[in-house]
Amino acid sequence: MSEHVKARTNQGFGRVLVVVYAIFAVGATARSVIQITQRLDEAPVAYVLSAFAAVVYIVATIALARGNRTSRKVAYVAIGIEMAGVIVIGALSLLVPDAFPRATVWSTFGSGYLCIPLILPPLALWWLRRTE
Amino acid sequence: MTGPFSTATIIVGLLVAVWALVYLVMNKRVDRYLQVATLGLAAMFVILAVGGIVQMMGTDKDLARAEFVGYLLLSPLIPVGGWWWAKNDETRWGAGVLLVVGLVMPVLVVRIQQVWAGV
Repeated sequence: MSEHVKARTNQGFGRVLVVVYAIFAVGATARSVIQITQRLDEAPVAYVLSAFAAVVYIVATIALARGNRTSRKVAYVAIGIEMAGVIVIGALSLLVPDAFPRATVWSTFGSGYLCIPLILPPLALWWLRRTE
Repeated sequence: MTGPFSTATIIVGLLVAVWALVYLVMNKRVDRYLQVATLGLAAMFVILAVGGIVQMMGTDKDLARAEFVGYLLLSPLIPVGGWWWAKNDETRWGAGVLLVVGLVMPVLVVRIQQVWAGV
């Protein structure tokens, strides 16, 4: 297993990080499937964004859980997108609320989820740096 | 959905969380007992899912049925997945995983009850 780097993203505290990401991945995916199949016309922008967020969480979960050199790069990209997403969508949902008639996981910086969506990406980036 | 069994799932979830927190602080690996408790919690959510879906089919009350069934069917995956992810860990952080599981499950019960109530 020469591909494995010394410090693994899926060990120690990373174990907890992966489970939190996994819960967000499952939750966001399930919610998104229901939204898109049942009522996409209600708020297409918000619901497509929810689906996008779900994909980002899935990729981040798998990348963090695998913990090899390639997956570390994938994790950086996915978590970078997640960070940008929560900041941009969080800000837009406050500045132009009309564009988001239905909430996404990133609306108002994830305040519907105890702001965990805002806390997760910096925490994960810190963890990626630490295990480098 | 708001009966004593739902309350029991909340209590068992919180017990798993407290138990896991103690192990995390004591720097202890997840042992067989905590594993059994976590799987017991998962079993309770399977029962909750069956009971909830049966109750839903027996009523014509207005609720978001797809959401309700989705929550019920997916929720047991969290303690099962958490158990598997925690038992393969050789550090205290396995208990950290079960702490997250134990805290999330009661929140899910409350959310399921809200969907049942039509919120």
